Amino acid sequence: MSRVAALLVFIVACVFFALLQRSRPRLLSSPAVRYSYYPASILLAIVALNCLLISVGTDRMYFLQQAVYGLSLGSVYALIALGYTMVYGIIRLINFAHGDIYMVGAYAGYLALTSLNLPFIPALIIAMAVAALLGVLVERIAYKPLRNSPRITLLITAIGMSLLIENVWQKVFSSTPRTYPNIFAGSYNILGISIDQSRLIVFIVTILLMLGLQYFVTYTRPGMAMRAVSQDRDAARLMGIDIDRVIAITFAVGSALAGAAGVLVGIIFPQIKPTMGIMPGLKAFVAAVIGGIGVIPGAMLGGLIIGVSENLVTAYVSSSWRDAIAFGLLILILLVKPSGILGRHTREKV
Amino acid sequence: MQRHPNQLRGSLIWIATAALALLVINVMIARDMLDSYIAGVLNIAGINIILATSLNLINGVTGQLSIGHAGFMAVGAYTAALLSIHYDTPFALNLIAAFVTAAIAGFIIGLPTLRLRGDYLAIATLGFGEIIRVIIQNLRITRGARGLVGIAWVDSFFYTEIIAILTVLIIWRLVNSAPGRAMVAIREDEIAAETVGINTTFYKVMAFVIGSAFAGAAGAVYAHKQTFISPNDFTFLKSIDVLVMVVLGGLGSITGGIVSAVSLTLLPEFLRFIDEWRMVIYPLLLVVVMLFRPQGLLGTKEVDFRAARESIRNLALRLSRRRAELDESGGAVDVTLGESTAANTLQVVVEQETSCRGKDGESSSKPLLQTNGLSIYFGGLKAVSDLNLSVPEGALHGLIGPNGAGKTTVFNMITGLHPPSEGEIYFKGRRIDGQPPHAITDTGIARTFQNIRLFKDLTVLDNVKIAFHLTAGYGLGSALVQLRPFHEKERWIESEALRLLRMFNLHDRSMELAKNLPYGEQRRLEIARALATNPSLLLLDEPAAGMNPQETANLMDLIRRIRDEFGLTILLIEHDMSLVMQLCERITVLDYGVTIFEGTPEEVRTNPRVIEAYLGEEAV
Repeated sequence: MSRVAALLVFIVACVFFALLQRSRPRLLSSPAVRYSYYPASILLAIVALNCLLISVGTDRMYFLQQAVYGLSLGSVYALIALGYTMVYGIIRLINFAHGDIYMVGAYAGYLALTSLNLPFIPALIIAMAVAALLGVLVERIAYKPLRNSPRITLLITAIGMSLLIENVWQKVFSSTPRTYPNIFAGSYNILGISIDQSRLIVFIVTILLMLGLQYFVTYTRPGMAMRAVSQDRDAARLMGIDIDRVIAITFAVGSALAGAAGVLVGIIFPQIKPTMGIMPGLKAFVAAVIGGIGVIPGAMLGGLIIGVSENLVTAYVSSSWRDAIAFGLLILILLVKPSGILGRHTREKV
Repeated sequence: MQRHPNQLRGSLIWIATAALALLVINVMIARDMLDSYIAGVLNIAGINIILATSLNLINGVTGQLSIGHAGFMAVGAYTAALLSIHYDTPFALNLIAAFVTAAIAGFIIGLPTLRLRGDYLAIATLGFGEIIRVIIQNLRITRGARGLVGIAWVDSFFYTEIIAILTVLIIWRLVNSAPGRAMVAIREDEIAAETVGINTTFYKVMAFVIGSAFAGAAGAVYAHKQTFISPNDFTFLKSIDVLVMVVLGGLGSITGGIVSAVSLTLLPEFLRFIDEWRMVIYPLLLVVVMLFRPQGLLGTKEVDFRAARESIRNLALRLSRRRAELDESGGAVDVTLGESTAANTLQVVVEQETSCRGKDGESSSKPLLQTNGLSIYFGGLKAVSDLNLSVPEGALHGLIGPNGAGKTTVFNMITGLHPPSEGEIYFKGRRIDGQPPHAITDTGIARTFQNIRLFKDLTVLDNVKIAFHLTAGYGLGSALVQLRPFHEKERWIESEALRLLRMFNLHDRSMELAKNLPYGEQRRLEIARALATNPSLLLLDEPAAGMNPQETANLMDLIRRIRDEFGLTILLIEHDMSLVMQLCERITVLDYGVTIFEGTPEEVRTNPRVIEAYLGEEAV
């Protein structure tokens, strides 16, 4: 009986979600709704999935546990995805080297925690600073001279930069994995779900960083300049905005977030190595595309979706299919709505 | 005949040289003069040639960035390996099977993803490459990460070489035929390609399928050479290897790709330290090439002995000229001279033009183009609403209105670029709305663009030749076999293209790159290209924009002349009122998407509503 009820709830939730989607533009115009909309929809989706699982008779606690794990992994993806999306929004480039900047951030955090024996917060800040510096450096060396070149040239350069960082790193630090010190060992029990302290920290830090980013982009002058440049570079230039500086700031901010993600991933999955950036980098890009590339809330949404679905696939299917799910989702979204869930449809002017 | 280095073409000398080199290698192998190690390296070089050439067709020629080539190689390799292990089939059969399965995989993947553009396509191919690998890693039949062993060993330099030659030959011939020109056109400007009648999706998928198929063949050769394969042979890095070869050689240059495929295979063998640092040097090379020579070593050019000889001669000439220039300066006067002769020729033609057409009477009863209640919405904005246009055969109809009135949108709807939201379009009595642009071009509608869309990096001649796509009348098969009818057709296209260029006084410029033409000539070239599709209705979008009064006068004569000579019906958007009033027989006036008046120039000139909406109240 309860199974049937759960199934009904699931169906109602789906219909409600579909209706919500249709009136989204109107809803989002009110600021009160705007900030609660995405968390609320994710919550709704989890409730709906949960009901579905009850209806097919799976262990609910196990599912919730996996979903929570997925959320912490997803928040790391989301942090990386933000950098992709910001850079894409501003210079229309898939910065392939972004995943490697995340890797360098993880190493910087590791060195700060072990060699310098610093506590967590300073180590995080150092990692973010190092990543930001590297991001700006990559932009200056490789992308800036090509600003007016065809997109394919830029894209190939980005692929080249990614491989370069990765392999130089491998030569310098060797390919042996390093292990992060175990700084957050405890775990909490909330409503029957056990949550590791480390995962909770990851989630909290991510949320704080995202709120900070949202504030930066919406209310500060550089943030406004950034949005202006992403709308129309030439018009922004004519309004007296220093394009080069804005692009550098974008790379710095995006890379800093990736650096933070590197440290956060280090405290959940302690093993780090020079090639660790490839897969999360690609998946984070996929997350950005799924959410709608160039749209900041989209990157968060996409990251969480990928993190949760990846963990669920691992839990219910097999971990060896884990890497396929992100790309499967990518193909699906590109076929159904190429501009992404929150993306706007653009038409080429003829 | 004079050739531009960027003109698409084939070269026999190359094939002869390659054949000679291979003959020497074969004799040496047969006589045991090369040890098996060197033979093995040469074999890998051959496989890399196949991979680079096939990827070049997708990335360089068609301009679709694919970074998942290793995935298709894997499909071919596993197909051949499984057949060999389980059924003990001969190599030739495995090869064909690999070719076919990789082609099928390419089709399945290409059809949905090639609707996407640029970056998205790159990421989708990357995703598919990874998915293929994950699938291989998880299937029992492929034995997961352990890989497959016991594939029949084939001493295959001979086979590799034959397949490499076939690959190069087929792709070379393809590139130098109508289908290849269509692919190049897609690379240069997809929308313009579509409007000269090229089914862009079809040709993109074709390039993708052919490229994937040959990658599959390379995989089969690889599997039989190694006798052992595992998913780790076909990672993202393998795709990057191939991409580096193509980029280094120059995207679009087949010979360049071959040269760099061979050098990048041989180099690490000679310089051991390179092998150790390969994964640092390759990406560095990629970045440096992109930064300092983004077109690659050869750009889209091909290595051509004749071109080499010519450039040496040019160099000598330039040296001697510089010496001469030291003595005297000047010599920039002839440019203006050329312009005025062009004007004169047109003047002569206009005088001949008095021989009028005499069919106006009966044809006006049935319109050539008719739209009923045509409307389109962009979001909430109704850009054009309820347009009822009726253009009789042979007419010269004008479409005017203030900026943003929706004139170009009307053109976009007629040519299929923006499907209308409501209403119908009839052309020659058949309904055409909802059809893709290339199909509409095929029914006989051609257009030019407000902001000229030429294939900028191709020659003037190639621009026109591409537009003969619909009338080329041969397919992939005859492009590959190249029998006599093919050559006759190609000669016909070339002579027709030159005839058109002569008519537009552009034949002296036929080997110039389109982007190097002055503005007025670019406009004329765009009209010539439109005419090459053999239209009965020509849509001209602001043909006189940016022209001076003299050029505008010449343009008017040209428009009248082509209408008579080609029996055209012309629909024209223009802001130059004197041109519209003198040229057009009927005029439709749009304002905010609404038709506010239709009539003769005289009526338009005196209609108060038009004057108020269009010319402004003070003009009354």
